[in-house]
Amino acid sequence: MRIDRTHRSWFIGSLAGVVLAAAVYVPYSLRSPQGVSGGSAIGLTYGSIGSAFMLFAGLLGARKKFPIWRIGRAQTWMRGHLWLGTVSFPLILFHAGFHFGVGLTRALMWIFAVVFVSGIFGAVLQHYMPRFTTERIPMETIYEQIGRVRAQLVDEARNLVEEACATLTGGLSRATMEQRAAAAGAGTMGGLTVASGLELDEEASVKLRDFFQQQVQPFLQHGGSRGLPLADRSHSQGIFRQLKALLPPSLHPIVDDLDNVCEEKRELDQQARYHRVLHGWLLVHIPLSYALLLLGAVHAVMALRY
Amino acid sequence: MDLQYFTRSHPLRRWRLYLSLAIPVIAVVWFLSQRATGQKVYSSGPLSASHAVFGKRCEVCHVTQAGVFRREVSDHACERCHDAPAHHPHKAAFTPACASCHQEHQGSLRLARTSDNSCAQCHTNLRVRAGEPKYVATIQGFDRHHPEFAVLRPGGSDPGMIKLNHYAHLQPKLASPNGPVQMTCHDCHRPAGVEGTWPYALGQVKTVSAMTDTDRRTANPRAYMARIRYTEQCAGCHIKDLQFDKRFDEAAPHDKPEVVQAFLIKKYTEYIAAHPGAVSEPLPAGRIVTSTMAPMPPAPRTREEWIEWQVAHADRLLFSKGCKLCHTMIRENGPLPAVAKSAIPMRWLQHADFDHDSHRMLTCTTCHSAAPQSRQTADILLPGIASCRGCHQEGGPEHDAADGRCSECHQYHEWRAEQFPKSNFTIRQLRGAAGGL
Repeated sequence: MRIDRTHRSWFIGSLAGVVLAAAVYVPYSLRSPQGVSGGSAIGLTYGSIGSAFMLFAGLLGARKKFPIWRIGRAQTWMRGHLWLGTVSFPLILFHAGFHFGVGLTRALMWIFAVVFVSGIFGAVLQHYMPRFTTERIPMETIYEQIGRVRAQLVDEARNLVEEACATLTGGLSRATMEQRAAAAGAGTMGGLTVASGLELDEEASVKLRDFFQQQVQPFLQHGGSRGLPLADRSHSQGIFRQLKALLPPSLHPIVDDLDNVCEEKRELDQQARYHRVLHGWLLVHIPLSYALLLLGAVHAVMALRY
Repeated sequence: MDLQYFTRSHPLRRWRLYLSLAIPVIAVVWFLSQRATGQKVYSSGPLSASHAVFGKRCEVCHVTQAGVFRREVSDHACERCHDAPAHHPHKAAFTPACASCHQEHQGSLRLARTSDNSCAQCHTNLRVRAGEPKYVATIQGFDRHHPEFAVLRPGGSDPGMIKLNHYAHLQPKLASPNGPVQMTCHDCHRPAGVEGTWPYALGQVKTVSAMTDTDRRTANPRAYMARIRYTEQCAGCHIKDLQFDKRFDEAAPHDKPEVVQAFLIKKYTEYIAAHPGAVSEPLPAGRIVTSTMAPMPPAPRTREEWIEWQVAHADRLLFSKGCKLCHTMIRENGPLPAVAKSAIPMRWLQHADFDHDSHRMLTCTTCHSAAPQSRQTADILLPGIASCRGCHQEGGPEHDAADGRCSECHQYHEWRAEQFPKSNFTIRQLRGAAGGL
């Protein structure tokens, strides 16, 4: 989600909330010679509001599970998650008097700190990465479809190679018949002996097929493919230049097509990497958020009971 | 195109699911494992300084029952270490639980520093089991309906019997054996236990702790002023008032009349033995001090009559003039008067504590403002509650003032009835492994 002008009211509201909380906290702290306490009336107020915001932020996951529920627009929930979740952290710090405590409260504060930092990191990524990805990867596809597209690329490359090889094989068959006639007349074709031309076509076909099987197919079949020669763009360009030099000009368009297929595969790999960066932080943020809510509930029950 | 792609799992989603299950489970397992080894996993809030030694051994106070430590701290748990006699046990309508007033886990405060609400729950509308309350029944706090100190209310008086004129003693160029002096309050009034010598003592007299009836809960020995003693604060100047005869350098002892009488007889007996001709010497010229004592005997003719006459003369000088300067002499049936007890109050506030040492930064007269002008013993120089309110307010620190809560001055428990509690714990029981035993 991009943080744009549509977030202005959320931003102002959140800022005002934090400023108000700080304005209450400063005199409260100064007039508490023994230090502020989470169990005082003001401390409990901070804790309760902060916990409510955390709970709301945590409910975003549930909201996403049931997108058809008519309980507010998904974007509103997302904005609430972002801003109320952000505000909850200073509120909990005020609740704790900027102390991490011991045992359960220390664990909670550390978990919350990691959740908060990962959330901020994620928000920054969500703001910048989509545009960055679009600029870098013009042929962006749906992440979940990358595997399917990759399989299509394999098929496309295989077809290209097969068709080219079939063409070469068909030419060889025809040449064999002409060779028989030419041999009878002891002539030449195009400055070359017919026998040597037949050998070249066969060699090109083998080379193209070998290249596909040894280089292109392994590269296209596997995601990432780090370490393979074709995974590196400049290296790949060199390989295809070299291939063209080895193949007759009639096959160069095929080679260019293969090069394009590989380029598309590289973009898919790059997109997959960007996607992992864009969503990888959720592997930290979401599980720890659940742990935070769970232990936070224990903390609240124990604190209020005792 | 696979239109159901969003329903299918992929590594990121799978890992998110696995971790979303695993990490909360790990968190719960961690919590339960911590919980199984005690209550150290809980952040209980800071203990008071006196209970900090218990650390995380919650069960010492929150006595565990069936594996679960109780939320409430029972009085029994407190009484295993403390004996806290009840507050007017025969009059108070009810006795609150210890923990309702002494609230733990609030920081390193003294637990005795209770909330005003604890007191106000009864004193706002005081009821007693029988009859009428002896005290003001509607006190809500130090700033709200707290009465003036009892001794300053109409009818209050100073029970002291020493005739002291503060005004005269604080005059400039007051005559002293060493020439004119300017006395200060500190020359006579100092907290007990302060090391030093008194400037107007009889010789170099060191300060002694004159408080003999200090409440044992008054931890500071300097809380109250040292008792006024003739030898420490008065004799330096007033020794001349006990001089009884120019023939003797020695003054009469500052003691009971019987002791003084015995001293005089001894002195004159020794004198006539050393000066047998004194019997025929003319009697002292000048006015005989008028007195309500027995009339002077006739002029002496024998040694015995001479001693009797001299002692009677000295008695009049002392008991009707020298002693009377400060003491109230009571004429009784016997030959000698009695001296009224000085009865200088050591504590003016019988139901409250005061600590002079805590107020040492203040000049004496900023509170005892009437002292420099006081000419009569009956003047009560105790500052009124308004003086206290100059610094002390309810919710003091919140208003940039000294605390004004009830427990600043008042004790709830009848400490005089306290008994030493039976010892119950070993170090290991209190400290666990932290005890190092």
